[in-house]
Formats: sequence, structure tokens, C-alpha cells
Amino acid sequence: MNGLELVFGLTGLVLWGFAWLSFRETGQRHRLGSACFWFVLGGIFVFGSLLPHWVTGLLVLAMAAMDGAGWVGGGPLESGGKPGKLGDRIFLPVLLIPVVTFGTALVFRWLQLDAVRGALIGLGLGAVLAMAAGLALTRSTMAVMMREGHRLNEAMGAVNILPQLLASLGVVFAAAKVGDLIASGIRYAVPDNSLFLLVMANCLGMALFTIVTGNSFAAFPVIASGVLVPLLVKPFRVDAALAGIFTLTAGASGTLVTIMAANFNVVPVALLNMRSPYGVIRFQLPYAVVMWSCHVLLLWGLIRFR
Amino acid sequence: MPEWTKLIGVVIIVAGLALKLRTTLVVVIAAVVTGLVAGLPLFSRAGQEGVIDMLGRGFADNRLITLFLITLPAIGLAERYGLQDQSAQLIRRFRAATVGRLLIVYQLFRVLHGILGIRLNGHPIFVRPLIFPMSAGSLRAASAAELEQIKAADSASENYGNFYGQNLSPVLPGVLLVYGVLTGLGCQVSVWKLVFYAIPVTALSVILGAVQFLWLDRQLRRKGAK
Repeated sequence: MNGLELVFGLTGLVLWGFAWLSFRETGQRHRLGSACFWFVLGGIFVFGSLLPHWVTGLLVLAMAAMDGAGWVGGGPLESGGKPGKLGDRIFLPVLLIPVVTFGTALVFRWLQLDAVRGALIGLGLGAVLAMAAGLALTRSTMAVMMREGHRLNEAMGAVNILPQLLASLGVVFAAAKVGDLIASGIRYAVPDNSLFLLVMANCLGMALFTIVTGNSFAAFPVIASGVLVPLLVKPFRVDAALAGIFTLTAGASGTLVTIMAANFNVVPVALLNMRSPYGVIRFQLPYAVVMWSCHVLLLWGLIRFR
Repeated sequence: MPEWTKLIGVVIIVAGLALKLRTTLVVVIAAVVTGLVAGLPLFSRAGQEGVIDMLGRGFADNRLITLFLITLPAIGLAERYGLQDQSAQLIRRFRAATVGRLLIVYQLFRVLHGILGIRLNGHPIFVRPLIFPMSAGSLRAASAAELEQIKAADSASENYGNFYGQNLSPVLPGVLLVYGVLTGLGCQVSVWKLVFYAIPVTALSVILGAVQFLWLDRQLRRKGAK
């Protein structure tokens, strides 16, 4: 068993803990459904490398159905705790997580091992050390700590697994050659050899798709398989990491100007009791346009003059 | 079936999210329908991978995107013992003279969260209870129109810092999603390079934010002078 599997296993155990706490929440309307959801997710984390893929696939369908039935999430965000007298020391356990993450990655790099694995193993190690440090510092109990983690987890709900789900959607899109289809459509409209227009089509597609869906993470697999990789990365031998991260943040301009991204643009209107429902978006619009234009120019420039 | 019918998956996502259906369900349905329309079997047979198998493989292979769940107990415990109050104290120490300068500091503060790999929605935690009172308070007798401007700017500062700051961590879902999708499409990428290339964009986002917030200061000053 390698280190990364161990971290997946630990994450699965934490999820089983959350499932148990959901199950114990008497009076909660969907406690069984919610418990079931986190239990299944925990199972995929623990056994993901052993289970046949079709079993995992069916479990994913089951989780989507449980969330679709409205069983998951929507808990209160507030902690029941009281402000402590710990002062700045309360930052210690939280800071341990990034410090250990980067530290482990550096050690892996130094040992000439895979630094990506190092970072992820470090994240797990850092989380465990942070738990221990937190318990020592606050003299609290494991049960209290798990309940607080469960509270955060329930407040986010099934949105937690969305990026992972979107990555699987990307796998299916790639196999169905959806990307090639979009690529041939764009090739029809944009001359093959025009790097600038292709970069623009890539960033525009990302922003528009994000405006409609309200979610740049949902747009990314579609644009990456349809435009980014077939039309930019492969033909022009572009650094995929460079083009990939620029494409993702080109989508952020879309997030800034759409009411579909309710969490970011509509909820604050309510929280701050603003008069215009579009007040936040109106303020962000010029910024988003300039940011987007800079993405096109920078990405084009970095590819053209590298 | 004609080729273009494969785009049904894209249509399902757009329509499903526009109708505010549960995103998880919309994504899974889009995947299954797309696979079936493209003529893939539901389950693997005769050497051809099935749609359900692909969903399972993709989900299991990309568990690393959701690893941050393991940090929730420690963060939750720290919150119970005053993490947010203490963060609020930290911001208060940077008491800035103008709304614009306060928002520049706040955006940087949120970028710092990103660097540290901490993911949160700051609107209810920081903006409503803290940033808004501080920014409104630094301007005596603000008019209703000015207050509206300030509220919008407060929210924007949170969004700018959150969106562009989170890509500076190799363990947050943004970078890991790009990593997972590009690797799945057969590209060689490393999360460290992704973080490295996110630096210019984040720097630009901070500079542009600063320009906009200082511009707001100027507008508020002019109105105040009249």
C-alpha cells in the first residue's frame, strides 16, 4: 500500500465518521439519506482502487440520485462554539496544513520522487497533524472535532464532489469524442493557422459557457476537450499547464458577470441589503472585461513569443 | 445518428443548470446520455469500455481533487475555538484610512487564504460582519448611492481575491481539476507548473483590483468635496 492510498483511506474514514454523525442526527429530515451519501463516498475513497470500475460507476449514479432527491447538505454554517482565549495560537493547527503540504512536497522533490504525490500525501499528513495539534491546544475531544468537521461538510453538501464528478464527465466526453466535434465546428469558423483567433475563441468559449452555467469548473472539461487541447495545445505544441490555467481563469471573468453564480453575485446583494439586484455584477463588469482581454493577450503573447 | 447529436450532453448541462436543477444529477445524466448517443455500451463488453465503467474510473482516479475533505475536522475545531474571530482581529489591525485601501488589503488577505489552501466563502464570514461596517465607517455620512457603491465594491473584493487566489495552491480543486482533465486528455502537466503559471494572472488580478478600488476612493472624495 502506498502513501497516497493511505491518505485516501484516511479521508474515507473521516467521511464514514461524518456519515455516522448524520445518521445520529435525530430530528433531521433526511438523516438516513445524508448518512448513506457520505457512507458511499467514504467507501469509494477507501476501496476506490480495488472496486471494479462499473461498481464505482453505479455508486456514483446512486450518489447523484440521492443528491437529486434533496437528501444531502443544507446544514447550518455557524459553529456552536464560543470565542476562545487562545488568541493567535488558534492559527497554529490551521497553518500546519499548508506548511506540512509544501514541506512534504519539497522532501519528495529532493528525493527525486513525484512532487504531486508529495503534496497530496503532505495534505493528508498535515491534516492529521493539525487535528492532533488542535486537540492538544483546545483540550477538546475527538467527538467534538468530528462534529465540527461534519458541520462544515454538511454546509457545503454534495457540491463538494462536483469537481471530481466533472473530471469523470471529461472522461466520457473524451471517449464520445464530443471535443472533436466542437473542435471541428470551431475549425470551420476560425482559420486553422490563426493563433490569435484560436486563443480568443478558447477564452470566449470558456467565458460564455461559464456565464450560462454559472460554474467555470463545469465549463472547463468541455472547452478543454473541444478547443484547448485539439486546437491549441496539440497543433501549436503549447505548454498544456500554461494554457490550461489561463483557460480556467478566463472563465472567472464569466463568473464575475453572471447571476447564475448566485453564491458570489446574488447572495451578497441579500446579505448587504443592496437596492439593485445587479449591483455587484455592475461593479465587477469593467474589471471582468479588462481581465478577460488581458487573458487573451497574455496567453497569445506567451505562446507566440516564448 | 448524426454526429452533432453527441452535443446533447452540453445542452443538458446548460439547460439543467439554467433551470437550477441539482448540479450533480445534471452532470451524471449528461455523461450517461452522451455516452449512449455516441454508441458506447452502458457496461464494458467485448473490449469496449462502458459509460458506467468510465464514470467509475474517472471518479476513482480523480479522488485527489476531493482530498481537502480530510482537513475539515481540524478547520472546524479551530473555528469552534475562535478562528474566525481571530481572523477578524487580524484584519482589524490593518485599519486602513480609506475604503479603497481597506479593500486592497482584504483582497490580498483572501489571496493569502488561497496560497494556504484554505477554501471558504467570505461573504457571510468576513464581508457582512466585518468589511462592510469597516468600509462604511471610514466614510462619514455616506449617501445612499455611495453606500450602494461601497457594498458592491466590498463584495467584488471578496470575489476577486477568492477566484484568482485559489489557484496558487496545488491542493485546491481548481488546480486539481485542470490537472485531472488535462491528464485525462493525454497531456503531460504538473500541478506545480499550474501554480507557477497562475502567478501572473493572480498578480494582475490584484493590480487591477487596486486600480478599481483607488478609483472608487477618488469618486467618493469628489462627491464628498461637492
